[in-house]
Amino acid sequence: MKSLLSIILVLGLTASSWAQGTTQSNVDLSTVPSRDTVQLTIYNSEDLTLVRETRKVSFKKGVNPLQFSWANTLIDPTSVRLRFVTSPEKLELLDTTFPHAKPQMLYWNVQSEVDGEATVEITYFTSGISWSADYVCVANLDETEMSFEGFVRVSNNSGEEYEDAQVRLVVGKINLVEKIAQLASIKPEDVAKLEEGKRDRLEKQVLERAMVPQASGAAAADFAPAAEKPKEIIKEGLSEYFIYTIEGTETIPNGWSKRMRSFEGQTVPFKVHYRYRVPEYGDQLVRMYLLTNDKESKLGTTPLPDGMVRVFRHNGRDGLSFLVGQQIKYVPIGDKIELNLGPDPEVIFELVKLKTWRDNLWMQIQGAGAFKRADEPGAEIEVNSAVVGWDDHTLFAQRIRNYTQKSIEVEIRRALPGHVVFRSSLAARSHDYQTIEYVATVKPGQKADLLYEVLQHQGRNAKQDNVTVEHIDK
Amino acid sequence: MRRALAVALLAVGLSITLADVALARIKLITLPVRERVEIQLDNPNATLVEEERIVPLVKGDNQVDFSWANTQIDPNTIVFRVIPHVETAGGKPKESAKPEAGPLDVKVLSVSYPPNEAALVWQVASSDSGSARVRISYLLGNLTKSFNYRAVASNDETTLTLSEYIRIQNLANESFGSTGLWAGFGPRFLKPIGINETKEMLIEKYQQVPVRKTYTADPQQYGYLDRPQNKLLVPMHYVLKNDQVSQLGRAPLQYGKVRIFQEDRHGGTAFLGEDWGKFTPLDDEMRLYVGTAQDVVVKRTIDRNEQKQVAGNLYNREVVVKYEIENFKEKAVTLDISENIRALRNEVAGDTGRDVQWELGKGTTLPGQPDEEKSTFEQVVFHVDLPARGADQKAVKVVHKLDVLIKNEW
Repeated sequence: MKSLLSIILVLGLTASSWAQGTTQSNVDLSTVPSRDTVQLTIYNSEDLTLVRETRKVSFKKGVNPLQFSWANTLIDPTSVRLRFVTSPEKLELLDTTFPHAKPQMLYWNVQSEVDGEATVEITYFTSGISWSADYVCVANLDETEMSFEGFVRVSNNSGEEYEDAQVRLVVGKINLVEKIAQLASIKPEDVAKLEEGKRDRLEKQVLERAMVPQASGAAAADFAPAAEKPKEIIKEGLSEYFIYTIEGTETIPNGWSKRMRSFEGQTVPFKVHYRYRVPEYGDQLVRMYLLTNDKESKLGTTPLPDGMVRVFRHNGRDGLSFLVGQQIKYVPIGDKIELNLGPDPEVIFELVKLKTWRDNLWMQIQGAGAFKRADEPGAEIEVNSAVVGWDDHTLFAQRIRNYTQKSIEVEIRRALPGHVVFRSSLAARSHDYQTIEYVATVKPGQKADLLYEVLQHQGRNAKQDNVTVEHIDK
Repeated sequence: MRRALAVALLAVGLSITLADVALARIKLITLPVRERVEIQLDNPNATLVEEERIVPLVKGDNQVDFSWANTQIDPNTIVFRVIPHVETAGGKPKESAKPEAGPLDVKVLSVSYPPNEAALVWQVASSDSGSARVRISYLLGNLTKSFNYRAVASNDETTLTLSEYIRIQNLANESFGSTGLWAGFGPRFLKPIGINETKEMLIEKYQQVPVRKTYTADPQQYGYLDRPQNKLLVPMHYVLKNDQVSQLGRAPLQYGKVRIFQEDRHGGTAFLGEDWGKFTPLDDEMRLYVGTAQDVVVKRTIDRNEQKQVAGNLYNREVVVKYEIENFKEKAVTLDISENIRALRNEVAGDTGRDVQWELGKGTTLPGQPDEEKSTFEQVVFHVDLPARGADQKAVKVVHKLDVLIKNEW
């Protein structure tokens, strides 16, 4: 695909005629300097890519008009900037004009003291180029170790083909006040109408965060493609972000996407754990793979950007079993990676209500502020009274049957709203003010009945909105 | 119909760009065929296909094109792996290479996805010319599995033979030759499965499985057969226990339709009915509803409903349920009487929204104690033995009462 971007050095015209936005002449003579180098910095949190390209332009002494156009692309016209890489002291940008009648185009008037070639750098934002991460995990049959591979996939729907581009991928969330795709659709004549503060703020925010190591074209070209091995993806942390630089250069035609491996961890240790946490996993006991993104676990070279993790396991018959596909959120270096495999048909998890009863019944005498307890022996209660407070007791058995070949560790979090006392011989603790948590180990082939009583104060007996754990002996 | 899947090796060894691939009109391609296919059906929600092909590679860069049409392959799930057992261009294994690594050092450099095409292109680097055995895995839609059973009860209805079948339906628009099929348990099958074909295979045949025949009177669950006469509907179930004592217990029984037959006295079988067998974990029971037992008649009436004031609006309530039972069968049977106390409270006093606090009253005449395993905090289950009808063809009427004291209601 041919480039839709062009920079044209227009010969024989005066600065004043360009400043008007159009020329009176019907005969133009132009030279079209080609792109020397291009660098793409792609942000995955927004539809935003910073393009940095260099071109060699021949200047004559005096005023040199340059035309830059981007027909049928998604470039934000407010973001286009020109910088002189060579002879900056002898070249000066006099003005920028967005012509009224010609969309997706601008003109620069450059005052030159140079009579010869100079390298210019043009930067701009475009939308339509994106990248995403995904991961493939393959656990061994014993479920003790896994291979963990990370991939990045770059997609180009920008309308422009960037040949031999150095590609950098930014992990992290930037702040934008307007979407680049919206700005790209702004008519040139409206660019000047944008609030100055808004334009400046946008450009400042993004440019400051663009992490510009000023990679020159020469530097980018130094990365010769290594055909015999996968390209290395160099990772470095900058400010609140992490940046991946793909070794060498890439050409991703418009409409295509390309996926490359960003890292690989072999024999990554992990633990199998069972959890019951309704807000996170729904009303079911789920099986988890727990691992850590650190060096000890043979990972930890990079934070893991948001992405889909696909988990497989060797099935012991020279093949794989697909376990789950799960979207994970950003995982910093050193943090846990939690993969939810869903319910395990070999572990049966049932909550059995064994018994319910009520006591501590309080009556209020109608028309009076007096209260009397009804369930005490010998208590005399007014006929004209009503129940206003009581305690509900429920005895539960949390039944777990383990039909796997290994001992399992089960962590249970159960929300008990209201004024509640949790009584049990289990080593339970409060996870938060209305959630209790306890852990049990169930051996292979065994059944565990974890007994507990929930006392819920009701009516005027309820004085709090929290759960208290009371440990009792078996 | 054409194959919907293809792996093509594009003009090997060329440094063509992706744009060239997209625009090229003249291509030289080889089409490696499938050497082995495995379809893994062990995930309840996804079908994983693993296929092996021997791909000829040249030293240096190679482009391997994988394309599909009219199939529901999830392109994001495609995994390309190079596995051992590789031959050189001469057809002999390369001795110098480590066996576990394979004679060829083959690496996937990148994967490219062309626009508007169900295809992808792997860029693969090979250390030498030769053939690589590659395994391509992907999730495939519209290739589904289900389970069904055929249960043949003995003539005396004490045991049955349970055959468990897997049925694989291939609507994936892709045919598979001799393919390994595995459901996650039971045997692995090696079968071809064509486009739009459904293939059924016997997973396991369980012989001499003890079966318990139950009659249940449970007004809350099964309702009435004749409401004006207070006659309860009494379903008959076959109950199997999924444990090793019952010749089962090897794996959970999967959800599926169970067709139930009974051996007659002439060497044949009669169809009794069918039911959906629920997913049954190990040690759990599968209850199969065979039909309504109209020869076991149970009349249920509320014999007593008395409210006793404790204080103010606080009451206790005594409820007595009477069951008049007749067995018109030639055989003695056991009837399970089940009563949900909360539903009983709602029936006589309305729903307060609260659980019931209750205890059995002295007026209960149902035999023995409630079945501990079947009863719950609000459900009580008794077993009542009923004699066969007499020689005069008359049934004995058995009357039992359930006396329940419901406490602390308002």
